[in-house]
Amino acid sequence: MVRDVAEKKRWMSEGLRKLAVFVIVSCLVLLTAACGSGETSEQQAANTETAANTETLTLSWPLDLGPINPHLYAPSEMFAQAMVYDSLVSYGDNGEIQPALAKEWQVSEDGKSYTFTLREGVMYSDGSTLSAENVKRNVEAVLQNMDRHSWLEAVSIIEKVEVIDDLTVKIDLKETYYPFLQELTLIRPLRMLGDKGFPASGSTAEEISAPIGTGPWILTDHVQGSHAEFTRNDNYWGDKPKIKKVVIKFIPDSQTRIMALEKGEIDLIFGSGQLAPVEYQTLQQKGQYQAMISGPLSTRVLAINSTIAPTNEKEVRLALQHLMDRKTIVEHLLNGLEEEAQSLFSPGFPYSDIKVGLYEYNIEEAKRLLDHAGWKVVDGKPFRMKGDQALQVTIPYRSTDVVHKGLLEYLQSAWREIGIDVQLQAEESQMYTQMAREGEFNLTFNDTWGVPYDPHMFIRTMIGENQLGYYVQKGTAISSSFTANVEKVIRTTDENERRALYESILRGIHEEAMFIPISYRTNYLVANDRVKGLQFTPHQYEVPLSLYELKE
Amino acid sequence: MIKRNKRLPLIISSSLVGLLVIMALFEPLLMPNDPYATNIAMKLQGYSAAYPLGTDHLGRCILSRLIAGAKVSLLTTFSILIVTIIISLAVGITAGYIGGLVDTVLMRLCDILLALPNFIFALVIVGTLGGGLFNMFIGIVCVTWVWYARLIRNMVLSLKEAQYVKYAQVTGVSRLNIARVHILPFVFPQILLLKLIGLGSTILLISELSFLGLGVTAPMAEWGMMISDSKTYLLSNPMLMFIPGVMISLTVLIFNWFGDTVRNALDPKTL
Repeated sequence: MVRDVAEKKRWMSEGLRKLAVFVIVSCLVLLTAACGSGETSEQQAANTETAANTETLTLSWPLDLGPINPHLYAPSEMFAQAMVYDSLVSYGDNGEIQPALAKEWQVSEDGKSYTFTLREGVMYSDGSTLSAENVKRNVEAVLQNMDRHSWLEAVSIIEKVEVIDDLTVKIDLKETYYPFLQELTLIRPLRMLGDKGFPASGSTAEEISAPIGTGPWILTDHVQGSHAEFTRNDNYWGDKPKIKKVVIKFIPDSQTRIMALEKGEIDLIFGSGQLAPVEYQTLQQKGQYQAMISGPLSTRVLAINSTIAPTNEKEVRLALQHLMDRKTIVEHLLNGLEEEAQSLFSPGFPYSDIKVGLYEYNIEEAKRLLDHAGWKVVDGKPFRMKGDQALQVTIPYRSTDVVHKGLLEYLQSAWREIGIDVQLQAEESQMYTQMAREGEFNLTFNDTWGVPYDPHMFIRTMIGENQLGYYVQKGTAISSSFTANVEKVIRTTDENERRALYESILRGIHEEAMFIPISYRTNYLVANDRVKGLQFTPHQYEVPLSLYELKE
Repeated sequence: MIKRNKRLPLIISSSLVGLLVIMALFEPLLMPNDPYATNIAMKLQGYSAAYPLGTDHLGRCILSRLIAGAKVSLLTTFSILIVTIIISLAVGITAGYIGGLVDTVLMRLCDILLALPNFIFALVIVGTLGGGLFNMFIGIVCVTWVWYARLIRNMVLSLKEAQYVKYAQVTGVSRLNIARVHILPFVFPQILLLKLIGLGSTILLISELSFLGLGVTAPMAEWGMMISDSKTYLLSNPMLMFIPGVMISLTVLIFNWFGDTVRNALDPKTL
């Protein structure tokens, strides 16, 4: 009897233990399957009531907004910096420079001295007014942290800032630099922080004391890792936002974002980084949401390294150009959300309407080029051979980028049939950046940056060492003249000369087959019916929340 | 002699494991299609005679990729098993038997490593070395040997005090021979058993790393990677994610159960 009970107990405990093992295993599997989606439910519950408010627009963002320091980069999110801070001048349609905090400006004859007249009565969110003294303080704070900003010519070329009177400020440059005004429009690092926003040390290189700006929005609440709330700046000098409040919820995972939209916890998902093409398409097909695609904002590009074998051979680069099946990629992998690219920069960009031609998808031509270069099909070998070398190209990519991975896997399989061995290397994000900077790739994605960076900044980085673009031009036959042209183009003040130089630069990029343009990247958004006035601006990194309205 | 009530689960679980192993070993014969051939015109197809479980986002046969994935998962798991057993035996026996400073140094190292969360530590190693099957193998070996080495060292400590070991020492048998003849044969089966129980977690670790894109390199098929690839298709084609997910849970379940039944059958003391 006693033994029976013991037996039974043992049996039960074993049963329980197995059940526990099963439950734990299932939980782990579920966790693996939905990695990252668990953490947001709490935040969602905390914020549900705000979404119902008729004056509040709620949207998702994949990351926390960071400290929103106007003079620094990540982890401050660009769109949030653009909401809070203004620049002296802004970038209008077609690349035209328009007044912002400066209502007018004069450039000296030699192009080295810029005098800005500030708008009168512009108020910071703490009630202080914009003054020349404050502008000077901001520019000098940026100059103090030169190491971080040396990539930006507009910063490294500033010689000094002078206050002429209360509303006039003069910036002297060391040399002429035509895109100076264009670079002043950037979201960072040359936007203006209110005096009270400066920390006690006076340096913004580490931190700011508060995000005090002149922009259309004021940060009124920010819970780290959960959400941020912006309220309309009723004293804004420009067109005031139509919505009173905007709540941004940080949701790192796209499936969770979609769920939040479906449950009505958010009104809007904005940006191609937030939804994969297929997810956009699925939501669009449901028919209950407003779905919109922007025009071309930047270009999806594969950069070819000309400094290492086998892509140091021009014929191999040309063959790869002819092997890019843009039609299939756009149609099937990007679900038709992007256009096939015809050139490195979309023709709507400054100095980019230059016709240099495009390498058509042509397998036979690619084969001919490879044969000619000595990469021959050998019986019994899976890949083309030159001597005892197999034709192999290495393509690293960020391990988390699902769209890039799908695209590369497709290329890998398609190019295998031609006899090219494509090695894909999934890398953790920082590791990837390092590899790109050290030129450890044959091909890799190197999307252009969009306005106001394109084309001059994208091209300028190609001559700086330790930049991805450097390895693209360095090994080509035209490298030295290319470098000279790029150095010349950013200095010249003559419009015609600049145009001619850009033409020769873009032509060189095309003829030496440095980049394979794939498609023009777009932004897309999905919103519920509450939101009106949905639209895009030409800026890839801005969310034009000021233009949106809410239904009564 | 194995008791009758323990024999049946053992037979069932080991045949299930056998089934998985056969699947992994004879993969080319079982696969209906080339698991790596993309056919974009046939992407996201449902079940059909040509593609029994349909196709994925690049038009590859899902069943074939599942089978190819079994090979990757199981081969990696078994090689990790072998290598960790060797490392942990070597470290554990050295530390336990030699003792003194060697023991202190090795065990403090183990303590340090044990203080780090397994998965994060593996992630850091693989992240620094770069993705890929071999680096993942190194990462997982690095995090799994520690615990077992500690266990072995404790076993060896108690064995060292056993009469027959003392006797062997007195009669002048060399240290190496004592370790080989008197200690290893006693420790090895126990560790093998424990490792068998832990196999499931190794399979999961592989899948988790691949899910994060740091495991096997594309286009190699792996279940965790298949799940990660199908993340964006969760709404439109949930089966893409469901099938490899079920495969992982079943495999882990089978291996855990197998480890349990083997232990129950061989080692009645532990219950």
